[in-house]
Amino acid sequence: MNLSRRKFLHTSAALSALPAAAAVGGLSLSGFARAADATTLQYGGSAWLGHYPAYLAMKSGALSAAGIDQQWQSFGTSSARMSAVLSGGIDIACTGIVSALALMARGSKHFSIVAVPESFGRVEGLFVRDGVNSLQDLKGKKLGVTFASSAHLLVLDLLGSAGLSNDVTVLNVPAPEIPGAIQSGQIDAAAAWTPQFNRIRAMTGMKLLADDTQFSLYKKYNVTPGPDVLIVRNAWAEKNADVVRKYLKVYFDACQTLRDKPDEAARTLIGLTGMSALDQIETIKGAEWYSLAQQTQLLKSPGNYVDGLQRLAEMLVTYKQIDKAPAVRQWINTSYL
Amino acid sequence: MNHRQPSRATLLSVGFASVVVFLLAWEAACRTGVIDPLFLPPPSAVGERIVAMLSDGTLLSNVLASTRRVMTGFIAATVVAIPLGIVLGTSSYARAAFDPILSFLRPLPSMSWIPLSLLWFGISETQKYSIVFMGTFAPALVYVIEATRSVDPLLVRAAKNLGASNWQVMREVILPASLPQILSGMKIILGLSWTCVISAELVAAREGLGFLIMNGKEFFQTEVVVLGMVMISVTVLVTDIVFRAIERKVLRWQA
Repeated sequence: MNLSRRKFLHTSAALSALPAAAAVGGLSLSGFARAADATTLQYGGSAWLGHYPAYLAMKSGALSAAGIDQQWQSFGTSSARMSAVLSGGIDIACTGIVSALALMARGSKHFSIVAVPESFGRVEGLFVRDGVNSLQDLKGKKLGVTFASSAHLLVLDLLGSAGLSNDVTVLNVPAPEIPGAIQSGQIDAAAAWTPQFNRIRAMTGMKLLADDTQFSLYKKYNVTPGPDVLIVRNAWAEKNADVVRKYLKVYFDACQTLRDKPDEAARTLIGLTGMSALDQIETIKGAEWYSLAQQTQLLKSPGNYVDGLQRLAEMLVTYKQIDKAPAVRQWINTSYL
Repeated sequence: MNHRQPSRATLLSVGFASVVVFLLAWEAACRTGVIDPLFLPPPSAVGERIVAMLSDGTLLSNVLASTRRVMTGFIAATVVAIPLGIVLGTSSYARAAFDPILSFLRPLPSMSWIPLSLLWFGISETQKYSIVFMGTFAPALVYVIEATRSVDPLLVRAAKNLGASNWQVMREVILPASLPQILSGMKIILGLSWTCVISAELVAAREGLGFLIMNGKEFFQTEVVVLGMVMISVTVLVTDIVFRAIERKVLRWQA
């Protein structure tokens, strides 16, 4: 065999690299095998805090280790996400309950509520200018809020309770535009949720008049205007019951990290939200993160929380947002916990 | 072979029958479960919603809100586009100067103006008018330029040979010759204005057909979504009839 110098060097280099390649290859092959075995699920997310556990579980590798390949799909609104659930494109999602209730009111049996990740009562609220000291002072003023959102429901509830339903001009302003609308003086007050909540709070001359804890259903039922719920698409979940159980275990481990180690969680979540580290930590701490053990109590029917959700559905009917109140308990499924 | 033209009444009956058959088939498909009403509501549900919203007055207020936005944006666009288009259509220098800007503006959909319009006009009604204006101005201008350029140059030359001034040529030749094409272009632009108003009402609107559709979508009230779509079609049809009447009046000499 007549080898040229260049060929000889190439062959030697290739041979010397073989053991290392075999080792790495062995590792990656086992990783590949695991990925091939993994169950793929489509998750409907966004940068909203209700999705933190799913994002954290995905980024930490905990879901992959449990044999779950979570594909993250982003949506601008809960209704868009729920539409994707209806059409079969999303298997698991966290959603604001208002969208879920709207679908339940239409008789959809496509999904079930399987868990409640958190309560975010302190990162959503009504901001006013410094001179305004009570809801009564809002008479004749313009209030901006995103229609069909939990903040909208908070506004309707607060104004209704104060007898001001027809005395305040409520304008539909998309969430990202609210801080700009306040700064330019187009609106006098605004209801918003994080991250706009944090931005408005940081503005000079603005103060928080009420947050979700002043919502009429909060004191009795601990239910905010639009609590987040984790839902599964029934057709998928019935075929993958064990995967859902594993998923919930990992999901609530992430909730525990959010509760116990917010600084550590914040480092990962910045990649999702683009917030500053300080804001991110504050937002995580602003929510009450539930545990897996609390779920059975929360979703017990009859139970305080589920009763609160039922009252919320009835309130949506009062405000003409849905036509009829669904029996919420029929959509709750605790068998995966 | 003797081919007799069907009467107008016969053609109308055929059209009416096709609509009835379509609606019946749609209703039957929903009632028998072929179509899940959650995805597409039966026409009866849309009808019920129409009756409910007519009786509480919300349907009319939404139609009027959108019509006002459409007409304001449309009229503003035509007021600017018609004189400017005539100038650009008759002057190759002006056209050469304006063409690059027009080429840039023409492909922009009305939706793309939403972020800037919010910064410029906030969440006011002017912002909605501006969306309709920006979405229709460039296409309207193109129609007017093309209409003006399509005037037979022989007519212009003949008028000039007979001693007509530039203004007389414009008033007596170019305008009357291009007006039919300008008006038919504006009819198309009016239809386009309705697609723009939907974009305009996606943001910071409290009423209007676009708002109705988007709000219906948020609460999965598909019959409200369909109702909004139907109302847009009906309103466009009505405005089209009104426009034709105006066209007939303005172009009386053409009849």
